[in-house]
Amino acid sequence: MPKRRNDILYGTLQLLVLETLTSRGPLHGYAITSTIQGSSEDLLRVEEGSLYPALRRMEQQGWLAASWGITEKNREARFYEITRAGRAQLARERETWERVTEGVRRVLQYA
Amino acid sequence: MVWLRRLVNVFRSDRVDRDAGREMAFHVAERVDELVAGGMSEAEARREARRRFGRHADIRARVHRIEVIGWLEAVVSDLRYAARALKANSGFTIVAVVSLGLGIGANTAIFSLIHALMLRPLPVDRPEEIVQVAMEDGSHGAGGGGPRGTTFTNPLWEGIRDRQDALAATLAFADQRFNLTAGGVVRRTGGAWVSGGYFEALGVPAVRGRVLAPADDLPGCPALAVLSHGYWQREYGGAEDVVGGTISLDGHPFRIIGVSAPGFSGIHVGRSAGIFVPLCSVRALRPGRDLLEARSTWFLNVFGRLAPGTTPSEARGALAATAPAVFRAAVPAHYSPEERREFAETSLTAEAAANGLSLVRGQYREALLTLLVVVGVVLLIACANVAQLLMARATSRQHEVAVRLALGSGRARLVRQLLTESVLLALLGAALGTLFAHWSSRLVVGLLAQAGRAVTLDLSLDLAVLGFTIAVATATGLLFGLAPAWRSARVAPGRAIRGSGRGLVGDPRQRFARSIVVGQVALSFVLVVAAGLLVGSFRRLATADPGFRADGVLIASVGWSDLELSEARGATFPRELVERVRTIPGVRHASASLLTPISGTTWNDDVAFHEGALESRSEWPVMFNGVTDGYLETLGTRLLAGRDFTPGDGAGAPPVVLVSRALARRYYGEASPVGRRLSTFVHDSVGPAMEIVGVVEDARYARVDEDIGPAAYVPLEQTEPWSPSTDLALRTDAAPGALIPAVTSAMREIHPAITLEFATLEDQVAVSLARPRLLATLSGFFGGLALLLAVIGLYGTMSYSVARRRNEMGIRIALGSARTGILRLVAGEAGGVIAAGVSLGVLLAIAGTRLIGSFLFGVTPTDPRTLALSALILAAVAMGAALGPAWRAAGVDPMVALREE
Repeated sequence: MPKRRNDILYGTLQLLVLETLTSRGPLHGYAITSTIQGSSEDLLRVEEGSLYPALRRMEQQGWLAASWGITEKNREARFYEITRAGRAQLARERETWERVTEGVRRVLQYA
Repeated sequence: MVWLRRLVNVFRSDRVDRDAGREMAFHVAERVDELVAGGMSEAEARREARRRFGRHADIRARVHRIEVIGWLEAVVSDLRYAARALKANSGFTIVAVVSLGLGIGANTAIFSLIHALMLRPLPVDRPEEIVQVAMEDGSHGAGGGGPRGTTFTNPLWEGIRDRQDALAATLAFADQRFNLTAGGVVRRTGGAWVSGGYFEALGVPAVRGRVLAPADDLPGCPALAVLSHGYWQREYGGAEDVVGGTISLDGHPFRIIGVSAPGFSGIHVGRSAGIFVPLCSVRALRPGRDLLEARSTWFLNVFGRLAPGTTPSEARGALAATAPAVFRAAVPAHYSPEERREFAETSLTAEAAANGLSLVRGQYREALLTLLVVVGVVLLIACANVAQLLMARATSRQHEVAVRLALGSGRARLVRQLLTESVLLALLGAALGTLFAHWSSRLVVGLLAQAGRAVTLDLSLDLAVLGFTIAVATATGLLFGLAPAWRSARVAPGRAIRGSGRGLVGDPRQRFARSIVVGQVALSFVLVVAAGLLVGSFRRLATADPGFRADGVLIASVGWSDLELSEARGATFPRELVERVRTIPGVRHASASLLTPISGTTWNDDVAFHEGALESRSEWPVMFNGVTDGYLETLGTRLLAGRDFTPGDGAGAPPVVLVSRALARRYYGEASPVGRRLSTFVHDSVGPAMEIVGVVEDARYARVDEDIGPAAYVPLEQTEPWSPSTDLALRTDAAPGALIPAVTSAMREIHPAITLEFATLEDQVAVSLARPRLLATLSGFFGGLALLLAVIGLYGTMSYSVARRRNEMGIRIALGSARTGILRLVAGEAGGVIAAGVSLGVLLAIAGTRLIGSFLFGVTPTDPRTLALSALILAAVAMGAALGPAWRAAGVDPMVALREE
């Protein structure tokens, strides 16, 4: 199967997760996947295998706080919530992203 | 703090894995629900969900790596596995841990002694800045008076203190043994005379009251004393009211002004100073001999602290520059012009002295280093044993190893895991060894003795010693674990699972085990030879005829400095004492003398032989003693020609002298020297001529192992008294100690302020045998231990080999071989190993025993008799041990052996 072009670039996963949790509140891993897919109207798809290691890493950095909870279907799931440090990180990553994309846009326009 | 969490997770990794698993299971379940809702069948949905999620195992591994410190987890799991394995084979574990414990413990014990005696820095402020000031180039004093090089006179010390600017601070001290009682039997304790700046220079504060200051060390000072913390705890129980109290030292009262900080007991390592008094109080303690003015009494050690930023060589240069002025100002008045010149040319130098001063160190340094080598060898032998045990076990674990290899475990991982087991074993051995070392090092310090005083060393557990132990343990574990682990991991899994190969002769594993045993036998042979040499030396020393009869003699050192006798009475006082003790029942003979054999006190002088009007100076020094009549009888030294002294050889009578046979032979040859004359030198000029009235048997003077040199005796009353004291010697048929009460009361009757110190001649001689005794005892113990370990190794290897070759034995017997043939076969193999080991050992011994040459007495390092005897003992014991397995081999029932595969 050819690699889908809409698999997310490695570095941007963190940015998207942080943004998603900021705007939607605490979510479990599956919900984060669906939300990103949904918000991007299927332009972006999270490679599910890389989500959980990434979530753990972000949790270790202190950007997310995790806890076990119950879903509406009465299943046990691990919910992630953004922390204050996470919000600061989000701001930093947004700024970087905007800078990079602006740079790329300029190169494509003028190079 | 991320790392902390990852560290903790090492011990919670099961929980971490379970959480991750649950989380991912949930994700997949949700996906399945979604797909089913979209129309897929449940089975298909599950497959699709799994596919999209990716490989569970991989993702779980990735999460795990993030949450847990990987390498630490591997180490912890290795440790857990190793611990389980060791517990499962508890018999093996116990044997291995005990042998390792003994080996490592012995090494730790000797090293802690070496550390305490030679390496440990002084417990003072910044010990690396402390230096010792010494003299160099040019001798001082005529006729060998006093130690050279590192002891100064007081005028010289004051010159150094006042003139130098190279050192930030200087201090001087002299070790003393103070008598705490006033009259009667002496009770001594270690202490020191110290200069006023002593405590300040060392940076040792007071914990009660205050310590001495420079203002306390001025002429005419009050008698003050500072106690060490240890002394305060021991003698006063840490009583709070000790400051301001009085202590009697050598009969004089001193006021206690303070207690110094814990851990400090002087600069002299091996001695413990409990009481410090200022130098100026010497005048009160030694009236009649003004030590502080004397320009040729050398008794002070001088130390200093480097100025910040200076190096010892800079200090050396600066001190050397001040030396001429210092020495010129302190030249002894009675020196000849020649001696003056030499004296004035003496220079000063400084040596780093962070670990203080020590006479014990000089005496025992080589012995301890030799012992370290010995225990190192014992540890090697023990390691070889444990290695063999491990290899034997490895063979039985081959199956398990092969399965693990087949299942994909890397060889390196396997080797690491096996090595963890070895190191764990070694660390357990080290823990046991530390306990053993703690107990045994104290025992060994008890064996050290120096001039009759017990040696005190700070043996408290120190980081250095602990570090040494752990390093030795780890090296040991790797050493004996590497070979078995490597061999285990090299096993080809297929062959191992199919069945272990039959252990035939020529199997490389057996050859390797055999060569290890050969090495063990060789090493233990060397230790047995060393033990034989050292034990033999000691025995020879202890039984050598010293020229006197040591048993049955009590020595009483009598002092009467407080009596303030007139000069006339003082001169005849020794005789008075001798006459008095001769009346004590049980005393066969008694005499008085300046010194007694092997006492640590010596007196030597050059002599001039008179030939008519000419005098010829001896090229060699003569050992002297001043004695009353009856000395020869009391000590049991035979008179060979002429006569003994009589009471008539007194102060005003013609000077007479007794010479030893060695002196007579050396100068007069075979002719009798009786009637000839000789004299000693008094400050470089010939003294009055003395007539030789008798020749005496040679006797040991200062040490039991010395070469006997020329000696002479002069009447006690015809010599200048050294101090208001004398040594009385009493011979009795019963135990010498039984005389003590009678002598004490006799002396008390004469005057209660007379001080007494008792010793037996036997004890005095025994002390000089302390180092040979230490070496003989320890080398004998370790030699025996090495032999035992090597024989155990041989027995183990032979047993194992026989057990593995049961098949072969069975075949041989079934094919008609006689059982004695089997016996001969196995015994012959053992004999081959032993012979190879002994041959190698002989070579090693010849090369190695040279190192202990200086400790030997009456025997050369390559003594053939000792070598032959050791070989015989080793061979006999080893063959005896090998007979067991050989017998078992011969007793194999062929039917049983052939049936088992």
